[in-house]
Formats: sequence, structure tokens, C-alpha cells
Amino acid sequence: MGETDISVWKASATHIICGLGLFVAFRIARDVHGSNLVSDTVQTLRLLLVVEAPLIIGIYGFFRRDPQHCSWMNCMGFGVSGALVNAFGAVVLGAPIRIQYLTRTLYWSLLMSLFTILFCGSCISTCFAMWLIVFFVERPRGVLEYMICLPAHGAVIGAWFGAWPMPLDWERPWQEWPICVTYGAVVGYSLGMLASLVCTFVQNRRQHVKGD
Amino acid sequence: MEGSQDSKWVRIRVFFLIFVLHSLSIYLFTRGFLLTRTELSDSFSSCSDIPDPPCTVHQRRFDGSDDSSGVGVGCWTPPVFDRIVIIVLDALRFDFVAPSAFFEEVKPWMDKLTVLQRLALEESSSAKIFKAIADPPTTSLLRLKGLTTGGLPTFIDVGNSFGAPAITEDNLIHQLVSNGKRVLMMGDDTWLQVFPHHFQESYPFPSFNVKDLHVVDDGVMKHLIPSLYKDDWDVLIAHFLGVDHAGHIFGVDSTPMIEKLEQYNNVLEKVVEALKNQSGPRQPHENTLLFVMGDHGQTLNGDHGGGTAEEVETSLFAMSFGSPPDSVPPNLDSRTCKFGPDGEKMCFSSMQQLDFAATISALLGIPSPFGSIGRVNPELYALSAKTWNIQNCDAANCKACSNLEAWMTNYMNVLCINCWQVKRYIDLYSATSVIGFSKEDMLHLADVYGQIHSSRSNAINAMSLDEDGVPEEIHNNSVYVLQQKIDASSNFLAYIAEIARLKWTEFDLKLMGAGLCMFFVSLLVHFLFIIRVVRLCKFSCTSIWNFRWSCMASFLLVATRASSFLSNSYILEEGKVASFLLATTGILSFRGSVINGKFTIETLLLLLFNIILGCSMDDRFSKQAIGSAYMSAFNISISGINISHFIWTVFSEISPLLFLSMSALLLYRCTSGMSHWGGYRSLFVNGTIVSYVLIGVHWILESNSMNFPEGLHYFGRIFIPLVIYASGCGLLLMLVITQIFVKKGVADQAEGVVIDTVAMLSACSPIILVLSGRQGPFVALISILGVWCIIRLSNVAPKDSTGVHGVDPVSVTQWSLLAACLFFYTGHRCSFDGLRFGAAFIGFDEFNLIRQGTLLFIETFGFSHIIPILSLPFLVTLPRQVSCKTDTKGGFFLKLAQVFLTYGFITAITTAFTMVCVTIQRRHLMVWGLFAPKFLFDVVGLILIDVLICLASLFYM
Repeated sequence: MGETDISVWKASATHIICGLGLFVAFRIARDVHGSNLVSDTVQTLRLLLVVEAPLIIGIYGFFRRDPQHCSWMNCMGFGVSGALVNAFGAVVLGAPIRIQYLTRTLYWSLLMSLFTILFCGSCISTCFAMWLIVFFVERPRGVLEYMICLPAHGAVIGAWFGAWPMPLDWERPWQEWPICVTYGAVVGYSLGMLASLVCTFVQNRRQHVKGD
Repeated sequence: MEGSQDSKWVRIRVFFLIFVLHSLSIYLFTRGFLLTRTELSDSFSSCSDIPDPPCTVHQRRFDGSDDSSGVGVGCWTPPVFDRIVIIVLDALRFDFVAPSAFFEEVKPWMDKLTVLQRLALEESSSAKIFKAIADPPTTSLLRLKGLTTGGLPTFIDVGNSFGAPAITEDNLIHQLVSNGKRVLMMGDDTWLQVFPHHFQESYPFPSFNVKDLHVVDDGVMKHLIPSLYKDDWDVLIAHFLGVDHAGHIFGVDSTPMIEKLEQYNNVLEKVVEALKNQSGPRQPHENTLLFVMGDHGQTLNGDHGGGTAEEVETSLFAMSFGSPPDSVPPNLDSRTCKFGPDGEKMCFSSMQQLDFAATISALLGIPSPFGSIGRVNPELYALSAKTWNIQNCDAANCKACSNLEAWMTNYMNVLCINCWQVKRYIDLYSATSVIGFSKEDMLHLADVYGQIHSSRSNAINAMSLDEDGVPEEIHNNSVYVLQQKIDASSNFLAYIAEIARLKWTEFDLKLMGAGLCMFFVSLLVHFLFIIRVVRLCKFSCTSIWNFRWSCMASFLLVATRASSFLSNSYILEEGKVASFLLATTGILSFRGSVINGKFTIETLLLLLFNIILGCSMDDRFSKQAIGSAYMSAFNISISGINISHFIWTVFSEISPLLFLSMSALLLYRCTSGMSHWGGYRSLFVNGTIVSYVLIGVHWILESNSMNFPEGLHYFGRIFIPLVIYASGCGLLLMLVITQIFVKKGVADQAEGVVIDTVAMLSACSPIILVLSGRQGPFVALISILGVWCIIRLSNVAPKDSTGVHGVDPVSVTQWSLLAACLFFYTGHRCSFDGLRFGAAFIGFDEFNLIRQGTLLFIETFGFSHIIPILSLPFLVTLPRQVSCKTDTKGGFFLKLAQVFLTYGFITAITTAFTMVCVTIQRRHLMVWGLFAPKFLFDVVGLILIDVLICLASLFYM
């Protein structure tokens, strides 16, 4: 791994498509359903999932190393376990575990799982190893690792920061769990994609220089 | 021997230096910030007090005329009203009452109390609207205290009311009762807490449920109107709460608020009608005064407590029934007038709420409360036609006496007594209180007081000339002299109010600044010491590891937590913030352990520990939880959820015992594994376990679900806790003695400290457990789990452990976060109503300030300060992973010192931020409700931690 088998062009296209997917999902929510994350949390989260999941799974599926070994079922399994891990993390950090928040937490953790873990299920042969790489390597190497690692970290860190306004007494509806956390995650994810693009370009140029 | 003593002192003197620095700076800061006042609880005004000579003459004259006419029995001043109706509308903003013409914009909540505006317009001589300026802190309890004592209650009144808010100072209600007035109270039950035995009759309604808008008000309305037709009372107090509650929940600009105001308008209409109907000659309300007033204002969000204009400006409406009086002389009139849309002249006057007690006393002819520093308000005093009577002019010279002159003479007399009483209080206060007024102030005061007397004798001379039948100019002159005298008295009272406000409501910024600067110096010193110790540590035991990263991480954590104190919301949710940060470290260390490939169960356990903490803290911290009563309501609803009540009670009875026995077992198992215990192991461990058994017995006997004979019940409730306290203290004493006199034959220094720590903890734990009640054992187990995880994780943290080095600062940070979590997890909050007063009475029935205070102190800080500090050595001794061969005695103590220093430093940083925050937010509306208690808890916690660290360093090192 780490070979530049993915061109800069491909990487940017992937990121742009994923970013557009998020944008389109929010637009659909607003224009078609007349809802947004604040007024209709569950529905919007579901919409984000529905729009984004095929995009991510499909595109990253292109980069799969070992299609036989890593089936779609396997991938789904990883998605669900990733959701569990995310939900666990959220609860550890103090997310409410009351029954009325159950569906929200469910959809939120599925979305987080999509941002963080589903890729690896869809693109790498030994899924668990890749999952480890996403979160537990100290320095990502190679374009693919940038593409997976940086947005995922961005999503998690964004969600972590997104929880900060929750205790404030502004009494705005978006301070409810998990609305601002989702916003944080989306923003973090987008920043992560941006960072991944920058890193890809930088590495590309460096290799060109080396090649010259 | 000499040398070892010396080196010990060298090792630990750092802690004492830091302690002294902290105490000094906190003392300076607190002197500037926390305004304190000493209550003079033993001094009461009484009728037999004889004012200074110039006033007495006139008092006797009053008395004489009263006796002959037989109207009322005045005491210091002649009574001018027989009955007073006080309707308190909690949180009545000024713009609720004043006509909207006075404000730039007309808001929906204005002009709702139309009846008051109409009366003030149509009967402007007997009905008046006042803008009453309250003094901060504008919380209901303190305002009630201010209104009735006529003083300026501060955030901390030094006195002996502990827990119970009962007013022990002399106050209006006490004076009313002791002068034979019958007081009828209805409404807010705070009055009954404050005056438990004063009211002849009362209809209290619970004020705790902020969400309830109607219970109190409906109850008051039910009793108010019928009472107006009875004559078994002299003073009626009706306290409505609806507007306050509506503000807290919905804000001022809301439909419920407007509905409430309209409802009050109807009630007030009925009240005025009832009073008017009976105000004819020889009817019960012939001579009655009606007050409709607020105790404080509120912001548009419904908050109050601070000193912004919205909160301090409340309104007071006063109306006298009976013959209408004249109007006051123009230079005593504070009216502001404006012409309304229809050309009518609308006016309001201004007064200080401080003056309320003195004015009421003067109107009813009772001595004003001893501590009152208010002035009798001329406009209120003029409301009674009686004060315009010419009764104290000699009948022969009546023609010469104008009405105005008579009134001014009356008012002058009242003011004279007023001044004398205030002077008496200030003199006594300065002489007896802890921090009196300054010498210059007192000298100036005496000077101003002297001026009154000189002008007074002038006035009397003028009067006597006048009575001898001197021409008109001199008569006019006598009015002028009277006016001068009144001015002199008013000046004196205004000066007193000014210096009292300076003393009791103004911050001393210079002192605060000095304290803050000194605190930052102490932080710097602290930091330098830590660096030095770390250097020495590295020197004695060479190591290369990412100490810098660890420092950075812990610095970030501490900085985040500390800066969160700048916002009131984060202070409210402090427990959650701490748990969030702790969880973050947990997740990071989980990640770290996976990267290292050394995945251990502790990382997961730490996360689980966080879930347990988070779950129970979740519901304890809602915004409304500021009121303690809300908590009890919440507890009721919790127990109500359980379908089978029986199972729940059995569970709640059994589970503490279960956890208790588990912790006893844990203690036994842990200690049995240790060697080198020498002789006293059996004593300590067995003593502690016996104490645990006693605690269990205490809980069983104390519970109400089983019926034990009274004697046994008493034995369990009172006697057993005493035994536990005694044995705990005995064990501690023995521990100290053995530490001093017995040389242990332990070769390994670390092992010795472990034994000391375990012995110390086991000696302390029974006391803390019995005080913390049934949740105690579970919290103890939980904290053992957390501490164990942290210790084990600090074991893993350094990546390339080629040698032993200083202790990981992240672990120390985690430790302090854990301590903070435990404070909130055990049900405490940084507010005084969050104290668990019940704990102070475990084992005792009577109240003793020092004894009960100590118990409460131990209960409050036990789990979060005492235990964490005393168990800190574990962090050094237990992770004895790859033991460094060169781990000398000196190296071990350096590490211990490093841990203590780091822990103290973390606490000091958070406290420093609290101090900065309190300085910035000193004009914030929640400063007395939230920031000041937080500051106090932090400061007390810091001092406690410093003291404990000093003691621990003495003991362990």
C-alpha cells in the first residue's frame, strides 16, 4: 500500500463527488421535504445516509484491492459494527441514552460509521487491518490512506468539537443532541477531504520533483 | 538524624511556600470581592430606648398628646396608620407598573396593571407610584431580608444562621410582633422559613416549583379578599409568585406573563374596592395604607440576582385610604412627570428600597429595626393626613402654624429619631464587627451628625421666637430653618447609605487586582518548582520519552477545563465537562494502546467508568436544577416510576449493604497480599472492617421500612455514627503516632508508602462513607475502578521505557478530572443549596456550628478532595513496571513531590481562571447566583488541597 496507484485526478474527483453528495442531500432536504437538520433531525439524517452511502460505497468500491475477499455483506457488517463503535464513543463522551434519543443516535452513528469506517470495508481486502490503519496509524502514507484517513479523522474531531456548544444556555433548537454534533462532523469531514486533497497534491508534486 | 530532618524539611517546604502564597492572594482577592457583613444578632430596638437629648423633648411631647387623645400608642414616633396591607408581587419590573409614556417603546407587557395607573392619576395626592431601587444581590431571599431589616444584606452575612435562612437580626416583623401588631401572612413560604415563629396567622404555599404558575397565586387570592373584611390583623402581607415564575420559564415577553399581569390587575381592583368600601369614618380601613410592591426586578429573560438596572428597578405603589393629604414641599419631592397622550399629567417618584423598613416603622409608630440604615421617605410619610395635623403646635398659636410647617416639624422629629437610630447602629457595628468602618469614615460621620444638632438647635430657637409672636418674615424663616434641618438629617442618612453601600455592595478592585497578581506569581513559582523537580527527576534517572507531548496534552486539557469557567453555562455543566474531558483522555489512551499493540482491559474499563458517571449526571444537571427544591421533586418522580414500590425499596435498602461488603472484601483482599505490614496491619484493616460493619448496622437500624423498637432505632441512629467517628479519629491518631515514633523495618521506600497510604485511606474511609450516606459504597467502588484504570494506564503510557522517570502528567490530569467528576457524581453542586445539610446531622441531633460545619465540610469535599489527595502516592508507587535499578530513595521522593506539585498546579490553574472569570463577570446578572458560589467552592477546595498536600507530604515523605 502507499503506491500512487490512484492519480490526483481520481482522488479529487472522489472528494468532489462525496462533497457534492452531502451538499445535494442537504438541498434535497431543504427544497423537497422542506426540512432541515434542526426541524426534522431523523428525516434529514436518513436522507443524508441514503444519498451519501451509495456514493461512498460505490466510489471507494473502485479502489478495492481484493473484491472476492471483501464482499458487500462483509462491508455492511463493518458498517454496522462501526456504527456501534461510534455510538459507544458518543455515550462515553456523554451523549444522552434516554429512549427518546434512540432513533436519532442510531441514524447519527450510522452516518458517522459511513464517514469513518465504511470505506475500508468497501475498499480493502483485509478489512480490519485497514480499519486499524484509518484510526491508528500515526502518519498516513500514500494517496489512498490520505483519502481515507484524513476525512475520517476530520469527521471524528469535528463531531467532538461539535459537542462543545451543547451545554450553552442559548436555548436554540440546534443545541439538541445530535444536531450540532452532526454539523460538526460534516464540517470536519469536508475539511478532512480538503486536507486530503492538499496532501495529495503536495505529494504528487514532490514525486514529480523527485522524478525530474 | 539531624540531617534527615533537615532534608525532609528541604523536600517539603515548597508545599508550605505555595500554601502561604495561595492563602495570601486568596485572602486579598476575597477581601475585595466577597463583601461580608457581620450580623448583630443580639441587638434589638425597643420602646424603652431613649434617643439622644435633642430628640427626646419632642418624643415626650408626642407621647403626651397621644396619651391624651387616646389614638394608638406610638413608641418612638406617633403612629400615623393603623393598618397596612403589603402586596408583594415577586419580580415586579418597574415598567409593569409605570405608564408606558415614560418609556421609549411601548412593549406588550406594559400598561397591564391599569388600576394602579388610574389611581395614581386620579387620586394623585393619596396614591403614588414609586420607582424603588433595590440593592444587589437581587435574589428573593436576600431582598426579603433587606426589606425587613432595612440593611444591605451581602452575599455572605457572617452570623449564626446555618442552613436555615431564618433572620436572626432585628427586623420589621420582629418589631411589629413585639409591639403588639398582629401580622397575617399569605403566599410564598419563604417568609415562613425566614420568620418561623412570628406570624399570628399564615397561609404559606410552596414556592419551590418554578414551573408552577398558579398554586401560590390562587391560594393567596382565595384568602386575600375575605381577610380584607376581617379586623383580626394589623399588617397583612400577601406575596404573589406568578410573575417571577412566568419570567423564569417563559421570559417577560410572553403570553403567560401578560395573562398573569392581567390577573393581578383584577385582583388589585378587588382589593382597592374592598378597602375603599370600608374606608369611611369608623370603618375598619379608615386609616389603612396599601402597598403594592416588587422585591426586585427581572431581565427580559426572567433572570435576576445581579445589579443591572432591569433587575434593581422595581416598583412600589402606595395608597392611603381616608382623607387625602396635602402634597409635600417641592424640595422633598422626587417626582418625575410627563404628559400622557390625553394631556393628563402622569408622575412617578423614586425611592430606595433600603428606606422601606424605616418608613414602615415610622408610619406604624414602632421602633425601626436596629440594623436599619434607611431614611424615612418624605413622600410616603406625607401620604397620611395625620402627619399634617397641627397637633403638636400649641393650640394658642395654631393660626401661626401653617399645615406645611406642622408637617415639616413632624417629619423633622421623625428624621431626628431616624438619624439617632442609624448612628447608634453604625457605632455599634464599627465597635463590634470583624471588619468595621474606617476611622476617617467614622470621624466624618460624627462631623455630619454634629451638624444636624447645630441646625436643630437653630430650628428650635426659630420656633420659640415664632411662638412668641414674631412677624411673618421670621415665620417664613422658621420654615427655612426647618428645611435646613431636614436637609442636614437627609445628608447624614445619605452619607451613611453611601458608605454602607461602598462597604457592602461595591467591590474593591485594587484588592482584587492585587490578589490576582499575587496568585499569578504563585502560579509562576509553582511552575518553576515543577520544572526543577522534573529536571532533577531526569537527572537522577535518565530517561528519554515524550514527556513534552504528555505535558502539552495535559496542559491543553487543563486549559480547556479552566477556560470553560468563563461561561456560566459551562459552570452549570461542570461535571459533564470534566467527564467529557476524562472520556476524551480515555479514548485517546485507547487509541494509544492499540497503536502500541498493548491493548489492555483497563482502557475499556475507563470508558465504561465514564458511561456510569455520565448516566447519572445526565439528569442531575438541567438548568432548573439551580433551585434545590427541583431536585427533590425530581427524586420523587424517580421513585414514582417504579411500578412495584416494594422491590424498589428492598433494592435500595440492600444494594448499599452489598456494595459496602464488596468494598470491605476488596480492602481485605488487597491488604492480605501485602507483606511488610508489620504489627499494625491487623489493627487497621480489622478496625476499618469493623467500622464498615457498623455502618451497615447503622443503615439497617436507621431505615424507616423496618420497625425497630425506639431504643434500638436511637442506638443505630445516634450512637453508631459516634463510634465510627471516634474509631476513625483514633486510627488516624495512631497512624500519625506510629509514623512519628516507630521506625518501620521496611527496606523498600515505595512499599512503605503504599502501606502508609492504604492505612491512611482505611482510617479515613469509614467517616466519609457514613457521611455520604447510602450512595457512598457504590461511589467508593466506582472511584476505585477509575483510579485503578488510571494507574494501570499510566503504566502503559511511555512508549520506550528504558528507565523510570517522572510521572506522566496526563495521569495526574486524569486524576484531577476524576476528582472533579466525583464531586458532581456524589450529588454536589457549586452552590449553597447543593450542600447536603442532612449529612451534618448524622449522629447528632443538636446543632453546633463548628461540629456540624466540620461534618458538612468532610461530606462535601470527602470524595472529591480528601480521598484523591491522600491516595495520590499510588500513582507513583503502584505502576512499578520496569523498575529502574537506580531508583534511589531520593528519586522516589522526587517523583512523589512531582505528583503533588502537578496536582496542586492543575487545581491552582482552574482556580485562577475562576478568579479571573469572577472578576470579569462581577457585574453579571448571575454573579451571586452562580459565579460567587463557584468561586467560593473552588477557593475553599484549593486551600483544602494545599493543606492536604502539606499534610500528606509531612506524612508520606
